[in-house]
Amino acid sequence: MIKKIQKRLLMIAMLGFSTAVFSSPVNEDPIERQMLDIAAKLRCTVCQNQPVSESHSGLAGDMRNLITEKLKQGNNEAEIMQFFVDRYGDYVLLEPPQSGNGTLLWVLPPLLLLFAMIAAVMMMKSRGKNQTSSPVATLSDADKERIRLAREIDAGESKNSKETQ
Amino acid sequence: MNKIWWAIVPVLVILFGLLGYGLTSNPKHIPSPLIGKPFPVIEGKDLNGNKVTLGVVNGKPTVVNVWASWCAACRLEHNVLIRGSRRYGDKISLVAINYKDELADAKAWLRQLGNPYLWSFHDLAGRAGLELGVYGVPETFFVNKQGIIVEKISAPLTDAQFSAGVALMSK
Repeated sequence: MIKKIQKRLLMIAMLGFSTAVFSSPVNEDPIERQMLDIAAKLRCTVCQNQPVSESHSGLAGDMRNLITEKLKQGNNEAEIMQFFVDRYGDYVLLEPPQSGNGTLLWVLPPLLLLFAMIAAVMMMKSRGKNQTSSPVATLSDADKERIRLAREIDAGESKNSKETQ
Repeated sequence: MNKIWWAIVPVLVILFGLLGYGLTSNPKHIPSPLIGKPFPVIEGKDLNGNKVTLGVVNGKPTVVNVWASWCAACRLEHNVLIRGSRRYGDKISLVAINYKDELADAKAWLRQLGNPYLWSFHDLAGRAGLELGVYGVPETFFVNKQGIIVEKISAPLTDAQFSAGVALMSK
């Protein structure tokens, strides 16, 4: 029994040992990762809405090489992005900038939503007001007389029906 | 009730105006941020291996055309460049960037179609292209004597565009 347990423990220990041996840490170049992060934010200028990181076009490849080169030279992400913006314009950024012309894109939708909500509230309010303030139909004397008669008949009928019961 | 429409209608008009503008403008026309900026000075070699420098060439207004032998549209615009170089002669410098092209192919192309350029900068890796925000060939830069880019055409050039570009450079 003890031997069996010992054997099992040994097996488990060896299992641990084997994974430690066979799984070597993934060799990921940090520059490659950084490069792909930057490339994912840039538009491949010859493709339809595809980031530089995913495109197989020659230009996107050149841009990736240049990003890698610039990272190795010690440039940071902002500097590299600016390099491309200076040459290709804001168009090269997949996410429109939150300054300059781009401000409109970011500000307009919430403003429109706010406007629509205010308009909706105002419309509903005015509709409610219209209903209460609309003149209540006034009854003419003849109408009142007819109502009175109808009620009398109604009352008489119910009396009669009670009596017959 | 009517007061609200006074607010809604102008907003709708503006929105439809923007939509109309977006639908009628050319999505392929991307304004270059390089217009009004100095043309970067880039050193390299021409197709014959001679040292050349991009920028203002020979102190004259300079047209820089980006072409490649693999580019079909370049073939279409080639005659415009030949006519332009004859018309303006030595009033301007016409040079080129041969973009991501094999030397032999580029040379054969010029032999076949004629060479209107003073020289063609050999940009095998496309580095000069990136430096100039080139995203497709053909592209043409018009650079004035002071080295400022006054116009950039990102399409096959027409005779009218060539003349207009030269007029802008000479201002």
